Amino acid sequence: MAHHADAKRALDERGYKGQLVRGDNPLKLFEKPVRDRIVDSYYWKEQCFGLNAATLLDRATELSFVGGTYGVAQRPTPFLCLAFKLLQIVPDKEIILFYLEQEEYKYLRVLAAFYIRLAWEKDEEVYATLEPYLTDSRKLKRRTREGWALTYVDDFIDDLLLKSRVCATTLPKINPRLFLEDEDRLEPRISALGGELEELDGEDEEEDESNGEVEEVNGPVNGREHEADGSDEEMVGG
Amino acid sequence: MADHKGAYGASSSNDTSFRKTWDRSEYAAKAADRDQKIKEEGKARYQATLEGKKYHRRASTPEDTKDTEARSARLNVADKVGKTQIIVAGAGQGKRGKSAGFYCEACDLTYKDNLQFVEHLNSRQHLVATGESGEVRRAALEEVKDRFEYLKRKREEEKAREVVDLTSRIEVARDQEEREREEKRRKRNEKRRKTKDGLGVQEIKVENDGRG
Repeated sequence: MAHHADAKRALDERGYKGQLVRGDNPLKLFEKPVRDRIVDSYYWKEQCFGLNAATLLDRATELSFVGGTYGVAQRPTPFLCLAFKLLQIVPDKEIILFYLEQEEYKYLRVLAAFYIRLAWEKDEEVYATLEPYLTDSRKLKRRTREGWALTYVDDFIDDLLLKSRVCATTLPKINPRLFLEDEDRLEPRISALGGELEELDGEDEEEDESNGEVEEVNGPVNGREHEADGSDEEMVGG
Repeated sequence: MADHKGAYGASSSNDTSFRKTWDRSEYAAKAADRDQKIKEEGKARYQATLEGKKYHRRASTPEDTKDTEARSARLNVADKVGKTQIIVAGAGQGKRGKSAGFYCEACDLTYKDNLQFVEHLNSRQHLVATGESGEVRRAALEEVKDRFEYLKRKREEEKAREVVDLTSRIEVARDQEEREREEKRRKRNEKRRKTKDGLGVQEIKVENDGRG
């Protein structure tokens, strides 16, 4: 079993015969302009040629920031190129889980989470696999369209589960968690901070003032905005 | 009349070892192979006409093609920056032949740009010339785990080699400074030498030295 070193065959419209993801060529999960930018970039040509799931580790351990496309010319980040490579290779489930479960390299973990959100089709599995990592609060560097931003692993995974556009890609539609809970496909969410919240609520009833503390605790659960430009828009292109 | 020797001592004229020997069985086997190939091709052509398609004869991959693997090191594209290079006149037309720029030995082509060069290294033409198949072996979980352990170990070894002691760090920094100062001094002297004599050293002008 071997796959091609380059993505040219897979990108060719004239009949894709590899594995299907969500019923179609997995490379189609990225939009055409983004695909073109990736394939024309020097990083892709030099470093992503001939990777397989093992040698991809070499590149992924050298990642130092996440991001989509940046700059006027919409250059892709190495993170995005490696995600594209994963989509081309379509590694086995156990390999992706290995990437996700390892602790040493946070960018590799985030890369695996991104792949899972894009490629796995069963919503329950996506939620069940990604939610445990909402406790990982390591810092990540994010490259936005015009600059840098700070984010966290749990923040990024939360964005993956809630937002519709992350890292220059429109994420495939996923049912909201409440819907899945109503359908009994998933258990109601047990937050890691659930215990603390209840305690504070209990205290609240005794005292009549509401502290700012309550809001802070809610912070990671609902998702924070870290953008320095202060805009409320979603992470388009970044 | 045992050895009928000629005038110059040549041996018997019955020596026919220069003639071709015909190994019947070997040639019979070759003929059988060829017949079979023709039959198969005929079948393939017949099938193609049945489906309404045209039969294309594909060249088969040679047996000793290697699997393509990822590059183990970055491409060295920056080491000639700022250096002058003499090009042999009549080096080549267009891409063919070695001239200024990035040269690929296997295909005898020169590229003026590192992007074009890398594209060429990934191309079908070059892979065939280097005997690689263009297909990558799929990795199993075991391989991934091994690679992971290996990378982890390498990183730890690098960390361990980093010098943490303050005095040795000072020394290393001092050495680095010395080296940089030497470089600057040398460059300054060269520049001064060139202008001092009027014409100075003849600069060898190269067009398209790869810097674009």
